[in-house]
Amino acid sequence: MRGLVIELQVIHALVLRETKTRFGAHRLGYVWALLEPIIWIATFGAMYYFLGRLAPPGMGVVEFLVTGIVPFLLFRSLATRLTAAVDSNRGLLFYPRVRPLDVVAARAVLEFATHMVVFVLLMGGTALVNGRLTLDQPLEVLAGLALAGGLGASLGLSFCAASVYSNVAERLLGPVLMRPLFWMSGIFYSVEALPSAARNVLLYNPVLHVIDLIRGGVFPGYEARHVNAWYPLGWVLVLSFLGLTMERAARRRLQLT
Amino acid sequence: MIELRELTKAYPTRSGFNVVLDAVDAWFPPRTNVGVLGRNGAGKSTLVRLISGVEQPDAGRVLRQGRVSWPIGFSGGFSGSLTGEENSRFVARIYGVDADEVVGFAMDFAEIGEYFQMPVRTYSSGMRARLAFALSMAIDFDVYLVDEITSVGDAKFQQKCRAEFEARRDRSSVILVSHSLATIRSYCTHCTLLKDGRLLYFDSVERAAEEYDA
Repeated sequence: MRGLVIELQVIHALVLRETKTRFGAHRLGYVWALLEPIIWIATFGAMYYFLGRLAPPGMGVVEFLVTGIVPFLLFRSLATRLTAAVDSNRGLLFYPRVRPLDVVAARAVLEFATHMVVFVLLMGGTALVNGRLTLDQPLEVLAGLALAGGLGASLGLSFCAASVYSNVAERLLGPVLMRPLFWMSGIFYSVEALPSAARNVLLYNPVLHVIDLIRGGVFPGYEARHVNAWYPLGWVLVLSFLGLTMERAARRRLQLT
Repeated sequence: MIELRELTKAYPTRSGFNVVLDAVDAWFPPRTNVGVLGRNGAGKSTLVRLISGVEQPDAGRVLRQGRVSWPIGFSGGFSGSLTGEENSRFVARIYGVDADEVVGFAMDFAEIGEYFQMPVRTYSSGMRARLAFALSMAIDFDVYLVDEITSVGDAKFQQKCRAEFEARRDRSSVILVSHSLATIRSYCTHCTLLKDGRLLYFDSVERAAEEYDA
């Protein structure tokens, strides 16, 4: 019980500290967290407009893109920020109460909270413009966002532990994993619209499942019938197990200073 | 109180393993200042890190009773982009003590003036050490682990530290690591000698000194 209290104290202290260091001296990072999805939405929105394409039936283009890009950025930023968590906070491990997992957990909390706020702001902003709010199944949406966060966090934890052994893993994460996933996760197209051959391949990607589930939760007329929650959840469990096991092994190798 | 049970730590080197601690058993009594004497590279810092818990032993265990400090002395653990005050608040929160109180005490004790409100990256190494030391004093530890106190500040500041340790002698103890006999003599009543992976315990600093010189 006392251990749990200490743990929460430490994570709380780390979160407060990260809010100051994460976004730079002028807090520009907060603006960027909101600006990045807006830029993507504007870019893809413009493409939709000039190509004369429509979002799937029952969805506005902007909401369609918000429900794609924000969960993806949540996933991606958790994965990349957690991968670097221990390396960039090495100095703090000098306090016996701060353990590597605390640092990882604190970043996860902050990233998740930040992107939840971004999601609410963008969905709320769209609702204001449209004069109506579409949110069919709030709990399903929340579960979807939690899955996106869980995927990013468990992947980030695994890469974080791997980075103690070699920095190759860290360098692979961006170019080899995140960049292709950006195009393969249904951010600016729906699973429904894919030709079935492509769909069968892309459905191996758990992020695609998550984004489609969130859209199923947001839009009343849309049923996410090709995907399920168990598949990404399986990934979360496997990656968490892998990450936690590797962390235990990496702990001893971690050199201070 | 600190107890070491068959504590073992070795580091891989090019020519096999360097055994820094070889199944060390020891007991550090409460309210007693104990010095750990050893040559450079004997493993003194490793011992302190193991006692504090920032490093894990290869075998054996460390039993701790009461609140044990982080290894004080070399001044890691600060975020360069945060001010002295922000760093102090962070440490206070980790240990679950009142942040305002810690900030007040640390500001007073460190005597670094307006630098307290500036990013730590602008500090000289002496100022960092002062802040680190002040901060550890601001939190009531039962055991203070001090690594090479000689590096902390000038003579006047060191005198202040010594007085502060003296003042809290009835509630906390110090485990002080140094290669300098003079330093240990001025702080400690008991002394251990770390040599060839073993830790020898002496009731007086002088007995340890004889062995150290031998």
